[in-house]
Amino acid sequence: MILSLEQVSIGTREKKIVKNVSLSIREGEWYALVGQSGSGKSLLSQAIGRMLSPNLQMEGKIFFKDKDLLSLAPKEMRGIRGQKLSYIFQDYQGSFTPFRTIGQHFEEYQKAHGNRDSKGRKAKTIEALESVGLDDTLYNRYPFQLSGGQLQRVSIAMSLLLSPDLLIADEITTALDSVSGHRVLELLAKRQKETGCTILFITHDWRHVKRYASRLAVMKEGEIVESGGKHRILDHPQHEYTKRLIQAAPTLGKGLPSGIQEVESV
Amino acid sequence: MTGLSIRLPRAKKHRFQAVTAFVFLVFFSAVFIYTFLYLRHDPTLTDLDRRLLGMSLQHPFGTDQLGRDVMTRLLLGGQQTIGYSLLALIVALLIGVPFGLISGYQRGIVDRVFMRMGDAFLAFPDTIVAIVLSGLLGPGIGNLVLAIVMVKWVSYARLVRSTVLAESQKDYVLIARINGLSPRKIMRKHLLPHVVGHVLVLASLDLGKIILLISAFSYIGLGAQPPMPEWGAMLNEARPYFETRPELMIYPGLAIVSVVLLTNMLGDYFRDRFDVKKEERQ
Amino acid sequence: MNLLSVEHLMKTFPGGKTAVNNLSFQLNKGECLGLVGESGSGKSTLARCLLRIESIDSGSIILNDIAIEQMNERQLYPYRKKIQIVFQNPSAALNPKLKIKDSIMEPYEQYRKELSLSHFSYTSKEAFVQQLLESVELPSDVANRYPHELSGGQRQRVTIARSISIEPELIVLDEPTASLDVISQGAVLNLLTELRETLHLSYLFISHDLAAVKQMSQRIMVMKDGRIVDQFNREHLFSTDRDPYTKELISIF
Repeated sequence: MILSLEQVSIGTREKKIVKNVSLSIREGEWYALVGQSGSGKSLLSQAIGRMLSPNLQMEGKIFFKDKDLLSLAPKEMRGIRGQKLSYIFQDYQGSFTPFRTIGQHFEEYQKAHGNRDSKGRKAKTIEALESVGLDDTLYNRYPFQLSGGQLQRVSIAMSLLLSPDLLIADEITTALDSVSGHRVLELLAKRQKETGCTILFITHDWRHVKRYASRLAVMKEGEIVESGGKHRILDHPQHEYTKRLIQAAPTLGKGLPSGIQEVESV
Repeated sequence: MTGLSIRLPRAKKHRFQAVTAFVFLVFFSAVFIYTFLYLRHDPTLTDLDRRLLGMSLQHPFGTDQLGRDVMTRLLLGGQQTIGYSLLALIVALLIGVPFGLISGYQRGIVDRVFMRMGDAFLAFPDTIVAIVLSGLLGPGIGNLVLAIVMVKWVSYARLVRSTVLAESQKDYVLIARINGLSPRKIMRKHLLPHVVGHVLVLASLDLGKIILLISAFSYIGLGAQPPMPEWGAMLNEARPYFETRPELMIYPGLAIVSVVLLTNMLGDYFRDRFDVKKEERQ
Repeated sequence: MNLLSVEHLMKTFPGGKTAVNNLSFQLNKGECLGLVGESGSGKSTLARCLLRIESIDSGSIILNDIAIEQMNERQLYPYRKKIQIVFQNPSAALNPKLKIKDSIMEPYEQYRKELSLSHFSYTSKEAFVQQLLESVELPSDVANRYPHELSGGQRQRVTIARSISIEPELIVLDEPTASLDVISQGAVLNLLTELRETLHLSYLFISHDLAAVKQMSQRIMVMKDGRIVDQFNREHLFSTDRDPYTKELISIF
């Protein structure tokens, strides 16, 4: 288990938003966390990186590679966050500093994590851009000159740059149209195979995950209502909410929700 | 909905100030009205036998250098000062707001002309422009009001224009157009409500500034002319007597300060009440 | 029966981008015609051209056998009540300073004298608003609320109520569920289909979500770079005759 959450609760003094959530993610797998807006899924993902806003309190334990994250000193946490544990967010424009070029973003990121070799940094940047299908002309461009799809691909490149063990992708395709979103996901899957990285994928739309996830959990109002293997959950949902979620999203109707083709009856 | 934040009761904090301000303003207004009905002394009648008297039952604030009752002059001066300030403010609004609406929504030649004019007007600080205009038009309270109006309307028009520019891009304005609403109707029904809040805040803060401007100009002789009682003018007339009768300067000075303070408090309250950012956060 | 005919429509933006490139199609009365495309394909520009809020370079737009593409605002006025639009973002589509009932009543109050409604009946403003809210399955106390007090799904229902209030012939739906969460999306799509059947409306349903388009529409058009690259009946979606781009889209969903 690369990541284990045990009875994690998050809330203010008056109210709990995330209630006693437990889940565990295996090394190298693609784990999906599915829930509507307001279900607490993004809060949970922020909690893992200990990035909650100060007025929120958290209970429970979070184990990352057998280390209890909540017991770490801020300095140790900084060593993990961004290096062993990285993020990609929904707001692609907001994830970049508008007045710095793409190349400068990569430079800063590598320098912050101890890479002092300037030639080496640039080489790694170009390599990273190519790995996501972008060419080096983007190195000197500014974020506003790129499309949403391109920016998300840059985000993928950056987040995998330092070979993290766990990548948390929070609604990364929600603001993109289906075609761009699809390309981004295909790319992420390809890079995952190449690097062996574990992915925690957060989304409100189970259709995004049916192709890529191996296991998933469904979250509603701060609680996990159902979790398990993809085929089991999507094709044989137990909980009422899971059923509603699956029914709500229109599909093309070929095959089962989890993507398996229906077997023709003989 | 991610993090929760503690809601600060800013408006509450200023509500106390606003209520106090409002109460005082009502009180002053009542006194002014009373003055109209029961004028005991002619404010301009000179009586050289009774000059520079101290406080007494008949003259609660004494008399000035020409024997006129100071309290009556203070109260009437308030009417002048505040009255003319309000006049300047209201006229500036009546010109600036429609201009800003048309400029921002319908654009076109009105907008182009306005932007050039606006740039010209705003290149100079309003005080300097007001001095120049007063100089050109001649001394007198009417000309001063005119000068202030000419300078102030631009800032309201600009404020309205920028609000309107932002809102008119929104879908609901587009839908109103699609449903055949005339530009006039759209400006009145959809855009004006957005503008009211911003304008009220600016106007209430400006009122204090205009009062100071009128008093200051009257002090240097460019605004209200004698024998009109006006606080700034009274300050000026009392200057030679500062050593013997300092209160003749202190009374109008205090009056100006307190009214401006009250309008600022009101302005703070409006600013919090119409906090646009708060609405957008919801 | 032909409700809308678009012929050789062209729209190029200053700066050179051709958003709508020689587009032609027909929309029949009572049907839902779906339009699928990526962002940047020109589908939203097309919607704006149809509503005459965007100018066109050439081509014709024929509504009920009458060409409307050259009309000025005054000439267009009597035809505007026949077409309505629902936009993607319900928050921007409602004036935050107005109560829901005032926003909903806007089309009716504008066209009141020229309307003859068959489904809704006007006795008083309150009663009319109630009828509309009921038809979109919203509770009656919504009428006196402000937009920020409602959820995204509720706001979108309000904009739908507003668009059906004058019983138009055609409603252009431009990504109506894109801003909503999955469960609200499903509910709103079902509501739209019901309304189309009860009120005998016709829809142009625009979306980047092929699955949603397939669920809602009897006929489907696929748009790419300003052109229609494929047009077919819903049943023929999986046919081998489909354009490669359509097949690519199918593989995504």
